[in-house]
Amino acid sequence: MNAAWALLWKDLVTEWRSRDRLVAMVVFSFLVVVVFQFAWPPMEAGEMTRFAPGVLWVTYLFAAVIGLGRTFALELENDAMTALALAPGTRGWLFLGKAGATWVLITAVQAMTAFVFALFFRVDLMTGVVGFATLVAVANVGICSIGTLLSAMSVRSRFREVLLPVLLIPTLIPILTSAVVGTTATLAGEGLPFAALQPLIVIDGVYLILSFLLFDFVLDE
Amino acid sequence: MTPVRLRGEGVAKRFGRVTALRGIDFEIEPGEAVAILGANGAGKSTLLRIFAGLSRPSEGRFEAIREVGLAEREGGANGSADLARPDLRGAVGYVGHATLLYGELTARENLAFAARLQGADASPARLDGLLAELGLQDFSSRRTGTFSRGMAQRLAIARAIVHEPSVLLLDEPFTGLDAGSAERLSSQLSGLRARGRTLIVVTHDPQRGVELADRALVLDRGLLVAHVARQARPGAEDVPFAAEALQALLARFAQSVGSTGSVGVDSADAGGSGA
Repeated sequence: MNAAWALLWKDLVTEWRSRDRLVAMVVFSFLVVVVFQFAWPPMEAGEMTRFAPGVLWVTYLFAAVIGLGRTFALELENDAMTALALAPGTRGWLFLGKAGATWVLITAVQAMTAFVFALFFRVDLMTGVVGFATLVAVANVGICSIGTLLSAMSVRSRFREVLLPVLLIPTLIPILTSAVVGTTATLAGEGLPFAALQPLIVIDGVYLILSFLLFDFVLDE
Repeated sequence: MTPVRLRGEGVAKRFGRVTALRGIDFEIEPGEAVAILGANGAGKSTLLRIFAGLSRPSEGRFEAIREVGLAEREGGANGSADLARPDLRGAVGYVGHATLLYGELTARENLAFAARLQGADASPARLDGLLAELGLQDFSSRRTGTFSRGMAQRLAIARAIVHEPSVLLLDEPFTGLDAGSAERLSSQLSGLRARGRTLIVVTHDPQRGVELADRALVLDRGLLVAHVARQARPGAEDVPFAAEALQALLARFAQSVGSTGSVGVDSADAGGSGA
């Protein structure tokens, strides 16, 4: 458990000092929002609310892929991945530390993106903000869990830039589906439906347990 | 610091079609200083990573045995004395080709992180003491990305011993160091050894191996081709444990051992090829 906290602390401190991942994800997210704005046909504000959740979550997922691709970038320098692999005990705690730090980072980027998205697409995200924030927080658990595992698997590959999106995006589709349903309901002021939250909790549980158990083998040679 | 004995029987390691180790036997007692010598590609680093619990043998048996466990067994206690790989990782300190440090963290932060990963005492007083021991007390708040190679290597050793491991594994620790830094590192390693740690040093430089070690395992293309000791074993001829002898041995095997050959050379043979 101490290893999880140590890794969480290390990742957040190093990110705060370099801001590598944060800047890359924020710039990418803002660019995607701008591109969608230009690609969008003119439509009424009410009609836009129907499509906005899908656009927002596609932006979130692509930004997450960018961030997850850099999750182990610091470990590649000076072979620090070996230092992690040398930690005694269950390596699943290392996974939890890494995934936790990524969760904090991705959630922060998503909050900033939501603000810009609301301005560009004239969507009132304050309607049902609590439900929306809950949905994002829960969905991010699944995204960060499976993303951290796949990032660790692909980091030593020569084709890691291509391999990670190819492996990760299909696993995120179930999360995307439920998140869009939930966001549509919260933007319409209907609150967060349990029918959207329930599948997310199940997916989170599956990805979390699977990644915790498999991380030991990923760090082995 | 629990004494640990390392033992291997027929240890082989393959990476796809490449065979790094071809079935070697060894036994390393607690407190020994052993050099693993050989040319590039001999399998030295692969063997060291098996010692560290970072890699599993493809064939054969590797065991790390706690001495306390042996005593417990003699006392009638049940249970195996073998260390499981997760526990073995806590009993060894590892210094690799790279420093295993984070350039964005300061020297003290790197040590604190390593200590917490290992579940060891990460109090500032202890970390500062360790930094002072390695001569880095004036640089504790400096980010390690700005360190020279020699400073980074000393910090890498501090990181490796932060949890008081009983076995210290070093993979080419003198690479990239100038003569002064190498000398200083050598004396620090001797100091660590004097406190009862097992020291296993991988090097292609027989001179360094002779300075630090009591005996040497010489590898060539995955085979253990010679086993040379500073003190002759009972019943065996005296062995000149000198850098020149080991250099000659390495050169001889580099020329003569076929990639599939199985060659056994005892310590007397090694002596015969010496200076």
